Amino acid sequence: MSPGVASAEKQAEILKDQGNVYFKKERLSAAIDAYTEAITLCPLIPVYWTNRALCHRKRNEWERVESDCRKALELDKDSVKAHYMLGLALLQSQQYREAVKQLEKALELGRGGKPGTYMVEEIWQELAKARYTEWEQGALVRKRQQKDLKELCERLLKEDCERRLTIADVNTAPVKQSLVEIDGVIQLDDDEFSGDENKSDDPPNEEITKLYHQHLETLTQVFDKAGAPDRPVEVPDHLCCKITMDIFRDPVITPSGVTYERATLLEHLRKVGKFDPVTRTPLSSDLVVPNLAMKEAVQAYLDDHGWAYRTY
Amino acid sequence: MLGLALLQSQQYREAVKQLEKALELGRGGKPGTYMVEEIWQELAKARYTEWEQGALVRKRQQKDLKELCERLLKEDCERRLTIADVNTAPVKQSLVEIDGVIQLDDDEFSGDENKSDDPPNEEITKLYHQHLETLTQVFDKAGAPDRPVEVPDHLCCKITMDIFRDPVITPSGVTYERATLLEHLRKVGKFDPVTRTPLSSDLVVPNLAMKEAVQAYLDDHGWAYRTY
Repeated sequence: MSPGVASAEKQAEILKDQGNVYFKKERLSAAIDAYTEAITLCPLIPVYWTNRALCHRKRNEWERVESDCRKALELDKDSVKAHYMLGLALLQSQQYREAVKQLEKALELGRGGKPGTYMVEEIWQELAKARYTEWEQGALVRKRQQKDLKELCERLLKEDCERRLTIADVNTAPVKQSLVEIDGVIQLDDDEFSGDENKSDDPPNEEITKLYHQHLETLTQVFDKAGAPDRPVEVPDHLCCKITMDIFRDPVITPSGVTYERATLLEHLRKVGKFDPVTRTPLSSDLVVPNLAMKEAVQAYLDDHGWAYRTY
Repeated sequence: MLGLALLQSQQYREAVKQLEKALELGRGGKPGTYMVEEIWQELAKARYTEWEQGALVRKRQQKDLKELCERLLKEDCERRLTIADVNTAPVKQSLVEIDGVIQLDDDEFSGDENKSDDPPNEEITKLYHQHLETLTQVFDKAGAPDRPVEVPDHLCCKITMDIFRDPVITPSGVTYERATLLEHLRKVGKFDPVTRTPLSSDLVVPNLAMKEAVQAYLDDHGWAYRTY
């Protein structure tokens, strides 16, 4: 290896360290310059790119954050910071679907390391926020469209009912009379003139009105059902931790069969006592098991009820 | 048996209550007796029939209403198009006051201003199609719970591939149908079927939260009782 190449790498590292110092002192322009020089010397080191991206993030220069992160990911597709900041940048440009994907990737990779680091918590918060905003956007549009359509249908049904009633009134003005053939001559059938037979059915008006009301009721039910997932309600009990009362993020189960939020249970065991919070049977943290099926159940609920991300 | 009798007279709500009570009491004894299995089957059948009845009525009502609304929306659209045609025949002209006299504003006569909006016809038709789309989505969504689909994976046992009845979880975190797992441990080997880590039956824990999750799903999707 020629001395020239070695010193370029060393120099780049020195520049990076300089940049870190500037960053800590909030001298972002200087930090950016230092990282940029390092990149020029050694463009294949992902950390230089993500460090610079972090500076741009502090200055809300989101387009630059995006381009630096994408470059970093070309060099290291498993960079937690790159996925994370790319996700944040995409949020800024309201590309929610993509943003969520990046943040999910960052969370997945971040969790591979030691659990409970600040980074994972921060990523989680941003991810929840992104999913909430994505849901909110869609929900507003759906609500408005459904409201407009429902009101239009209610009006049209009413007008349709009134039209039918008018037609019915016209049709029943004269009592219908039957015609019979007597001795070869067609004449009115006096025997059927009593009118009782006509009254054995519901008068057409009542039939029409009854049908109208039934349609209205079905309409209300249908629109209620269609709009229900978008209406915030209480998250079902079985999806919530008995201690936090919030929807599970990382559910674990104890030998007693009760499921808790992992972090909350571990804290309970550390600070309160080594027993199951609900059943009070003796319990140590090594007996705690991840409730994978419940984790999927929670995700399925969130997929359909995006408003529940707000409590995260 | 009261439950069975009530089934015959189609008093489904009452029948289900009686059968549930029977099952609860029957389970108090030794698990796996034939009686419990038989009660379970009848209970599942009763719930399915109860659901089926309601679903048929709902489907018919929704179908009738949807077709009516589609027709009314179409007629409404046609009415609006007719009115629009009548209204746009002469180009609208502005009136201005010049030297105390109201006259036509020649400057605005170019007609370009009127063309800057979508022609009313396109607006009306676009709105109509949007309404149709929303209508379809709304009725799809409202009718979805009554449409049999595949039960979500996380509600099913990995061995039986059926929706859980009595889910239990192993120390590996995997959830199985209790009876199936116990049989596996007895007949195949004392290891977790999926992770293959060593496993004995005393380490198996009832997954109470999943049991509730399954019940919640069945409450909304009564057709799933059929697989029981």
